Amino acid sequence: MASKAKTRNIKERSSALPAATTGVSPNPLVSLGNFKLPFALTFGLGILALTPRIQSNETLAWSFIAAVLFLGIWCGYLLMQSNREGEKHTFDLSLRPQHYIQALVQLSVYVYWGYYWEPSPGWRPVYDHTLLILGQIIFAYVFSILLSWSRHQNYTLGFGPIPIIFSVNLFLWFRDDWFYIQFLMIALGFMGKEYFRWQREGRSVHIFNPSAFALGLFSLVLILTNTTHLTWGQEIASTLTLAPNIYVFLFLIGLVVMYFFAITLVAGMAAISLFGLSALYSSFSGVPYFLDSEIPAAVFLGLHLLVTDPSTSPRTPLGKTFFGVLYGFGVFLFYNLLGVLGAPTFYDKLLCVPLLNLSVIAIDKAVRSIDFRNLLNVWKDNWLSGRANLAHMFVWVIVFGSMSFLGKTDGKHTGDSLPFWQQACDDSLPNACERLVQLENTYCTDNAAWACNELGLLYRQGSVVPRDDALATSYFEQSCELKFKAACINLLNSNSIARDDPHELDLRLLLREGGLNLMDVPLGDLYVKACGHNWDFACQKIQVSL
Amino acid sequence: MSHEDSIFSSNNKNQEVQGRTVGFTIMIMIIVVVAAWMGIQGNNSGIAGNSQLYAEDLKGFNRDAWYLSDDVLWGFVEVPSGEFIMGSNPAFDRSAYENERWSDLERQGKVFLPTYYISRFETTIAQFSIFAHESGLDLEQIGLGGAPRFPVYNITWPDALAYGRWLESKLRNSPNTPSAIKSFLNEGGRVTIPSEAEWEKAARGDDGRVFPWGSQPTSAFANFNSDEVRAVGAELCSICAYGLSDMAGNLWELTRSPLQDYPYNPSDDGENLSEDALWVMRGGSYTDSLNNVRTAVRGAVDPGVRNSTIGFRVVITSR
Repeated sequence: MASKAKTRNIKERSSALPAATTGVSPNPLVSLGNFKLPFALTFGLGILALTPRIQSNETLAWSFIAAVLFLGIWCGYLLMQSNREGEKHTFDLSLRPQHYIQALVQLSVYVYWGYYWEPSPGWRPVYDHTLLILGQIIFAYVFSILLSWSRHQNYTLGFGPIPIIFSVNLFLWFRDDWFYIQFLMIALGFMGKEYFRWQREGRSVHIFNPSAFALGLFSLVLILTNTTHLTWGQEIASTLTLAPNIYVFLFLIGLVVMYFFAITLVAGMAAISLFGLSALYSSFSGVPYFLDSEIPAAVFLGLHLLVTDPSTSPRTPLGKTFFGVLYGFGVFLFYNLLGVLGAPTFYDKLLCVPLLNLSVIAIDKAVRSIDFRNLLNVWKDNWLSGRANLAHMFVWVIVFGSMSFLGKTDGKHTGDSLPFWQQACDDSLPNACERLVQLENTYCTDNAAWACNELGLLYRQGSVVPRDDALATSYFEQSCELKFKAACINLLNSNSIARDDPHELDLRLLLREGGLNLMDVPLGDLYVKACGHNWDFACQKIQVSL
Repeated sequence: MSHEDSIFSSNNKNQEVQGRTVGFTIMIMIIVVVAAWMGIQGNNSGIAGNSQLYAEDLKGFNRDAWYLSDDVLWGFVEVPSGEFIMGSNPAFDRSAYENERWSDLERQGKVFLPTYYISRFETTIAQFSIFAHESGLDLEQIGLGGAPRFPVYNITWPDALAYGRWLESKLRNSPNTPSAIKSFLNEGGRVTIPSEAEWEKAARGDDGRVFPWGSQPTSAFANFNSDEVRAVGAELCSICAYGLSDMAGNLWELTRSPLQDYPYNPSDDGENLSEDALWVMRGGSYTDSLNNVRTAVRGAVDPGVRNSTIGFRVVITSR
């Protein structure tokens, strides 16, 4: 009975397909047919594995080879099954603007940000990552094709995988020694898209934004296993601001996405919520909520390019508004929660997206239950003769312009000043000591010797953070190797509390306000800038020199 | 809907459900395995395979004592308390550099040091490797290789101090530590690198000699003007002050004294914090000429520098 049903099933399916792609092949030899594409792409991935960049690391090379073998075997299996059972696997061609425009916008971020992130002369990690992104795109295409065909579905061929890969890599990528996990992350993103589905307005649609699903899931794993150091996540989040005027840049490219896909309500409301919550927090606590601006640059990027997938966000204007507001609140809360848990806070923007995706139907339902047409369409009707999105964009331009004018985006930020946080910590203002430790840690990672020594002292004294002699020693060692004499003295004597003002090189790192270091700034200007950041010793030096 | 259509539709649905179950299972497996793998391996990276530990016994070194020397005091030599002459007198030592002069008024000075212990040999690769293995230091990254009996090189000043702290904890906690060493530690001693004065006294004794073996130049007891470093103890020097080896040549040896003008006064070591740290190293290396392997020669190095001509030896000191 079962075998009869199966036969019937195949015949039915074959006859339902267009003539050009149907029918059992009379040729007993294996026919490649549409398999040429996945085979060719897999072969391409194999060629990529031979390039010097991939060969530069053994694990990376093996990651690519393993991916090629996996895809090749899967492809071969499906081909044999297809030839045996006479099932044709087909493509539908669909070039959707939301894919290629999104991809182009993301590409522009890579190009712009990647140019300015140059840790050592001539080495730009983002550009260096290009072949690895290409490898992921190829992998994503083949994986998604084979997954669709394995599930007896046509594959919609277009640019879909590209923005997913770009989106993932704008927030997280694994280091070369762990790159095989990147392929697994991509695979899970596509599996999540394929398997987590629900009926929405009569259509079966995926629940989660594929890139956000993969990022959210792996963020959770990285936090739970305390293995963030296996990725470039922290560096990615903190180096966006190396690109000058990054907020204006993201704002401008955001306008492109907003214009084409009407996501202004989501992105705009998320930004406005975060601006509002930050301002509220500052007015009550006396300290900024985020360190480098009212909205961290990576969050600003996320609210334009991660949370705005139309397929996984609400449909109604009011629903989009709620969605955006919830994202703002989500990031705000996760930032604090992660900080309290001692986890890296850059995961804030990633963790809340899958949760929001899950709430979409509830939001739509709640919004539609409002039996008040005027409220339901508050953002929709009669704005700019019905061109509501343009009106929303106009409001967003005004809001962003105002924030920029007030210095809340690219300009100098209170949170950039270390003396401010030292004082705030001394005054026991909320979260000030945690932020001080976080900021000193960031600058110590940048090799600002002063920051490493201060951090070591915090851990040696144990008043702000739990006493940890081993950690203190490691900070003193780092600082000492950077020639900060006080740190060497602290290293020599386990009871010593030696400190000094930042040295010239430290200032060039400490005053960068999240941007490029100030290696070429004349010393006099450096002290003026330092004085502006409340460094008293710098003000005294200026006075002496006058 | 016909009967056949209904079979087809329910069959499709079954396949869909089956496929989804398989998909979910695979996803869960991937996540669990990745999380477990990352949890185990991710926090171990950099430690595994770091260290070249030596299965075979090294003659003259005690494998059970972290490859310290296999003698009564595990390679430490007592330097009794007392004064010694520090710095150079150009009238007596024509190769003397200006920074070896004690003061404007005096060419040399007298410094009193309490009893301390100093290692007979420079710290070896075998000794440092055990510390590196336990501390998670990556020897390959440091660029350290070579036979276990050779002196360790390419280490930074903080690396040398870290080794001292590690060895101190080992010596304190081991029931086999020689009693003289243990009681010295219990009375407030600590293991570290020597101060400039401790190093110089150990090198020249209390008779002010120019070289560890005396004041006459010879290449019999020291490795200098050479192309390569040599294993510790390759050339013993019974006539050298306190019987120490390689106090002249082989590798420069790091000290815990900042480079400052004489007269030597350790109480001002913590001053001038705004200056870049620069630490005195002593003894010259195998690449140096004779005048740089004198006991009073003062070199200096940044604390972060790794160099194939710089190593260290440890002391147990009460200071």
